[in-house]
Amino acid sequence: MITVENLSFSYTKNPFISGMSFSVSEGEIFGFLGPSGAGKSTLQKILIGMLRTYQGSCLVYGIECKNRTKNFYENIGVDFEFSTMYEKLTARENLRFFSSLYEKKPRPVDELLEMVGLGQDADKRVADYSKGMKSRLNFIKALLHDPVLLCLDEPTSGLDPANSRVMKNMILEEKAKGKTILLTTHNMQDAAELCDRVAFIVNGKICALDSPHNLIMSKGAAAVTYTWVGNGEHSASCPLEQISSDERLKSLIAENRLQSIHSSEPTLNDIFMDITGRTLL
Amino acid sequence: MKVIRLGFFQMAAAMRRDMMLFVSCFAPILAGFFFRFAIPFIEGALTDRFHITAIISPYYKLIDILFAMLPSTMFCFVSAMISLEERDEKTAVYLFITPLRKTGYIAARFGVPSVIAFLATIILLPVFKLTGLSPLTILLLAAGGTLQGMIVALLVLTISSNRLEGMAVTKLSTLTISGAVIPFFIKSDIQYVISPLPSFWIGKAILESRSFYMLPAFVLSAMWIWFLFKRYLRKI
Repeated sequence: MITVENLSFSYTKNPFISGMSFSVSEGEIFGFLGPSGAGKSTLQKILIGMLRTYQGSCLVYGIECKNRTKNFYENIGVDFEFSTMYEKLTARENLRFFSSLYEKKPRPVDELLEMVGLGQDADKRVADYSKGMKSRLNFIKALLHDPVLLCLDEPTSGLDPANSRVMKNMILEEKAKGKTILLTTHNMQDAAELCDRVAFIVNGKICALDSPHNLIMSKGAAAVTYTWVGNGEHSASCPLEQISSDERLKSLIAENRLQSIHSSEPTLNDIFMDITGRTLL
Repeated sequence: MKVIRLGFFQMAAAMRRDMMLFVSCFAPILAGFFFRFAIPFIEGALTDRFHITAIISPYYKLIDILFAMLPSTMFCFVSAMISLEERDEKTAVYLFITPLRKTGYIAARFGVPSVIAFLATIILLPVFKLTGLSPLTILLLAAGGTLQGMIVALLVLTISSNRLEGMAVTKLSTLTISGAVIPFFIKSDIQYVISPLPSFWIGKAILESRSFYMLPAFVLSAMWIWFLFKRYLRKI
């Protein structure tokens, strides 16, 4: 579906993206995680054919992105982080215009608007929409022509938890239909929940690439923390894989003196910091 | 072609919603009526009043030149304003990643309006002209005027970064048209200081009735457009 080999790109004389290689399978949700300015959006621009002066190879459906033709865009839906709507037009007018540019039969506009809770506001000018409403509208615009590849840039940014949930469910529904989804984000919870695999990008390079689960499990061992009472309240912790050799824990269990016990896995953000030495924000 | 047509219709719809832009498109017709009917009337009144044989009429050729540049300047101004708005709203960026792409967008925003401006000039100039321009001269003037309009639009788009700046830059950019005035008022060689402006050669061609002066006008226009277009492409 997507094969990137030895990709390099530069805005100036200094390389911005260098030696990047990865592949994305059909039907996969692939996340690009990294702090601002890491090269995530630039990479997305290359993949959608907006930046064509790159070195290396970047194949999307077997088409080299720099040589993309008109038909290339029939199969790609892009949700930018910012609003890309005509502010003076209503939501319905915007969606009708953009869907008319594709040869494919568009998905029903009203149905999409209802799905993101904008059915009642379909005839309202986009200029009067809130940030969250614009974000939802932007998202369904990317789905209008039923593309096989979706590029989503911070799709849940600016959304309340309920709408964020709706959006994430819709993303998972698209995946269930077999769509390939590229998710650019620095929201590690979204990435951990949605992505099959994630790539950590820092300074234009991929520092790690694996499933969120594997990344979490390979780097940070889960720890077990327990508390007990005995001459005051005490707490201790040990790595999960060494639990059987923790004599104190064994005796506390035998004596039935444990007050609480829980395990805690590191988050994707912890792993990101561990690998890159930087935070996601 | 279908996407270019749709892209152009979208621009036309945006123009209809904006009264200033809408009126701008009809300005050449209003100006045409003024030039064709009011100016000879004023000329008659002035010559009678001051007992002079001619006051404005020696400059009728200049008025015809300015009128020839008006439709394209207005149409290209409208398209530049809409493009700036699309840049502000980031809809242009989105259109580039639809089947319209950058090439279709440029065709819809500049190619189609320029062709319409050219045709409008060919239709309007014979109706409103004040002098006996030949069909060939009308054709050359329409072509020169269209190229001049493209230069104004590209200047606006490359220099300004939003609609407000665009309005200010438009006023300055239309000064490039003023080159046509120079040959009518400055007869010495100093007039050639303005010769890098294509409009200077258009003025010279019409004033001296020498069509071959249109050649440097076209060559210079092509150079201006090439230079500005490269800058515009870097900017979008």
